Amino acid sequence: MHKNGFFSLLFHALFVTFIVAPLVVVMAMAFTSKGYLSLPTEGLSLRWFRALADNQEMLDAFALSIKLGLASATIAALLAIPAALAISRYDFPGRGAVTGFLLSPLMIPSVVLGIAFLRFFSLAQIGGSFWALTLTHVIVVLPYALRLTLASTIGLERDIEHAALSLGASRWTAFYRVVLPRIRTGVVGGWMLAFIQSFDELTMTVFVATPGTTTLPVAMYNQISQTIDPLITAVSTVLIVGTLLLMLILDRMVGLDRVLIGEGK
Amino acid sequence: MAFLTLEGIVKTYGTFRAIDGLNLEVRHGEFIALLGPSGCGKTTTLQSIAGFVQPTEGRIVLDGRDITHVRPEQRGLGIVFQSYALFPHMTVAQNISFGLEMRGVPTAERGKRVDEALDLVRLAGLGERYPKALSGGQRQRVAIARALAIRPNLLLLDEPMSNLDAKLREEMHIELRAIQRELGITTILVTHDQVEAMTMSDRIAVMQKGRIVQIDTPFEAYERPHSPFASAFLGKTNAFAGAVQLRNDRCCHVQVHDTLMHVPHEDRTLGNDVNVYIRPEKIRLVALGSGRFSGRVRLRVFLGNLWLMAVESRLGLVHMTLPNLGTPPPEEGSEVGLDWSDDDLRLLDREVAHGQV
Repeated sequence: MHKNGFFSLLFHALFVTFIVAPLVVVMAMAFTSKGYLSLPTEGLSLRWFRALADNQEMLDAFALSIKLGLASATIAALLAIPAALAISRYDFPGRGAVTGFLLSPLMIPSVVLGIAFLRFFSLAQIGGSFWALTLTHVIVVLPYALRLTLASTIGLERDIEHAALSLGASRWTAFYRVVLPRIRTGVVGGWMLAFIQSFDELTMTVFVATPGTTTLPVAMYNQISQTIDPLITAVSTVLIVGTLLLMLILDRMVGLDRVLIGEGK
Repeated sequence: MAFLTLEGIVKTYGTFRAIDGLNLEVRHGEFIALLGPSGCGKTTTLQSIAGFVQPTEGRIVLDGRDITHVRPEQRGLGIVFQSYALFPHMTVAQNISFGLEMRGVPTAERGKRVDEALDLVRLAGLGERYPKALSGGQRQRVAIARALAIRPNLLLLDEPMSNLDAKLREEMHIELRAIQRELGITTILVTHDQVEAMTMSDRIAVMQKGRIVQIDTPFEAYERPHSPFASAFLGKTNAFAGAVQLRNDRCCHVQVHDTLMHVPHEDRTLGNDVNVYIRPEKIRLVALGSGRFSGRVRLRVFLGNLWLMAVESRLGLVHMTLPNLGTPPPEEGSEVGLDWSDDDLRLLDREVAHGQV
């Protein structure tokens, strides 16, 4: 291993501080006993966590965001697998165009997408439902699922699938028993990124969310634009700690660097 | 009665004819090598037999059953891939067991047959390892065991040795050959390595531009190549360009530079442009003045079992090999006599030579 020099260590320390400090500040503010945002604060209290537990709107929004994230990430992953296999395997006419099209939501500003969806839903009169919202999220998170799935299918040897077929496996069995385990890390990583993107998405969702379909980021945004009370910091703290725990569990179970960076050989 | 028949197979990609009217009959239990340079269509042919490539024209009949349009998973063939194509997320035993599972073999018997297959390739006890933890040679054996465990009616080998080092390759040639004989399984090998084709196969099919240009036993193919291409592909050879000067129904005399070479058992039209061929090992070193002609040693290379020599003579540069019998041959620069037997000379038309080599 290479030893880091003084300046390198200093740089990393500053960098980590820069990233982590805002999170720490937000978390510290959540434990205030005052009715406004303050730091440093006198009097530690869990009153804002109590307030959060009593805030049905916020809890509903949280549940909706989880549901939305699970649904849109799963649908995106299921669409990404066949798309990635086709793109990496076959040289069909319009391959570049299809790839570009599927990845294009990355390049379109969320605001533009939001306005487009709003207009589309009001014309088609299907706005306001959970599945309409899911549809918009699938479109937005598909590029993330596809990119990571593609990364694992591009290096995939065609031979192992042929070997499975020659041994008598049907196409489905060959896919399920041989191909899927080979691209699993890409699919899982893609799914996770897609989930995070969906859970986090605000700019586009603000346009299409209705009172019945308010996601957590939208609810938080509404909250903070109406009142400035420490409730929002309590929500943030729960999210930060929750994410941290989730990451730890995932790392224990599958190894995060393997999923997000790729399989080490 | 042929066990496997390929009839007029054609495979085109756009305007390119990867296989161009290929016919092949393989007897039961026979080991056939498809030998040729890259791009000659040998791999496409193998993939057609395997079912991964659909021929544009032609018929494939295996054991009396037309399998041209049968899906690969229903052909029941054993295939050993160049990359071995082992399933990396399964243990060796699981790899071998996969095909048995697909065939609905009961668990107890699967275990028995996996052990048999491992014994066959001398890997007993390594069943619980993952392919990652095996050497190249061991992976190769697992691939063979996996292909054989399903008791296929036909074994296809796609350049199976090209990822092994030379010494291991030699061992595997002999071992694979022994296994094939023991099981009596009809086998088709695709290779660009003439040594591999010769060591293992009963017959060699030399392929060029999507066709089989010659199919013979290794000895016949080496000794009596039908074309300059086959001649050059199956080992080294000396070629002398000349023209037919004299002929009768038993032999030809060919003028090469200022020398008349006598080639028996060949009949050509007078004045025809031809090439006379002789293999390097058929040329003997003799005392100066006593051979058919003489020359000066230009190059002398020691290969352990052989000496490789190049002798400058009236015919041009003549390449020859001598077995190492303990005494080094004359040094570079010395004058030597060279001789051969006329029976070892071969004659091929030069039009063919120019067109194809």
